[in-house]
Amino acid sequence: MLYVLSKITRKYGSRTVLDIPLMEIEKGKIYALLGPNGAGKTTLLNILGFLEVPTTGDILYRSKTVNFSESSLQNLRREVVMIDQHPILFTGTVYKNVEFGLKIRRISQKKRGIIIEETLDLVGMSAFVQAQAHRLSGGETQRVALARALAVSPEVLLCDEPTSNLDVENQTAIINTLKQINEQRKTTIMFTTHYMYQVSSLAHHTFFLDHGKLTATQAESFKLCQ
Amino acid sequence: MELLVDSFLSAILLIFSLDTEVLSIVWVSLKVSGISTFFASLMGVPLGFLIAYGSFKGKRILIIFLNTMLALPTVVIGLFVYSFISRRSILGSLDLLYTQKAIVIGQIILILPVVATLTIAAISRIDERYRKTAMTLGANRWQTACVIFREARFGIVAAVIAAFGRVIAEVGISMMLGGNAKGFTRTMTTAMALEYDKGEFILAVALGIILLVLSFGINLIFNFFQGRTRV
Repeated sequence: MLYVLSKITRKYGSRTVLDIPLMEIEKGKIYALLGPNGAGKTTLLNILGFLEVPTTGDILYRSKTVNFSESSLQNLRREVVMIDQHPILFTGTVYKNVEFGLKIRRISQKKRGIIIEETLDLVGMSAFVQAQAHRLSGGETQRVALARALAVSPEVLLCDEPTSNLDVENQTAIINTLKQINEQRKTTIMFTTHYMYQVSSLAHHTFFLDHGKLTATQAESFKLCQ
Repeated sequence: MELLVDSFLSAILLIFSLDTEVLSIVWVSLKVSGISTFFASLMGVPLGFLIAYGSFKGKRILIIFLNTMLALPTVVIGLFVYSFISRRSILGSLDLLYTQKAIVIGQIILILPVVATLTIAAISRIDERYRKTAMTLGANRWQTACVIFREARFGIVAAVIAAFGRVIAEVGISMMLGGNAKGFTRTMTTAMALEYDKGEFILAVALGIILLVLSFGINLIFNFFQGRTRV
């Protein structure tokens, strides 16, 4: 198992937003995370992305207990990348945005150029390499954010509603890219969505979250969503 | 009215004749204000950044304190610094009183809160998603801070420009700590006050015009950077 979450809770003040007794995530699979707004989906993604620390409980990542110290989390974040529901691009060009994670990892300039070209090509944004990031449309921004995440070759990709507010063309492009990288790179993917067709076409497994609790199996999830 | 028109025309002629006294006064003003803005920025920007970016006990109190300091009258600062650098006081031996250094010290105290509070505002306006995105892409705390700083850069430059605008137009500190010595500590504002006392309006009006043009330029740049923060 890639992740094993046991007795995880996340509280904001006295409000418990997440309460998961056990959750297992296998390497190389695609997981859909379903649930109504406010169910705790984003909080769960933040915890899986090591961006948020659970109030109680343990996480095993690659069979090792996660130590929630900042330095330890920082190393883990180099393997797990999360893409926000409304991703934000840094000021500058598309190239500079995709380069960010690579520069941090001290990858040589020459290699950076090759990777950036490849990943932008993968998401169909090669023509925008020198475009100013803030001038892009919502769909283009989402695709560049995906390229920026893929450029660092993450083990796990967490996508919070990757196709929300996008037209059909951009939705298809994103879904196809996710499918492709899972097949080719064996990247573990977890995404949240409200679209059942995405779950059926993309996900190997489904989790249903309601009021912070995992409430249903895959078959039950379908029934609940319908 | 006639006096104003005559003074205005004579002042224009004085400016275009590149009068050495006018140039000297303008130079002292720009030099002193530039140095104080430089040092206040050197301290105020990191201070504001740390306050805005960090989370620590007493943060709110510190922000309230800095906001209160914004309303500090220049004469109070003048009096306060005077009590430290006058001949018989604790730093009297340094011979700072009635020097440009004394004005710089007072002006730093005046604009440090300006730079710090406007930097806090600039950093606080930055979308939380920048921090989260930098972190998820593997950035450490320092690299994440650099991302935030970069995104807030126009707001920070605007803070520095606003501070310069504040010191170039102040009179209390320059008068009390500089002493308005001709050629040494006479700034545009202190010279204007002196000329007014003497009833000589031409130089005062000329300096007023220069000060207004400078203020206009500063505001123009300030607005440009403020506008860039909203892109």
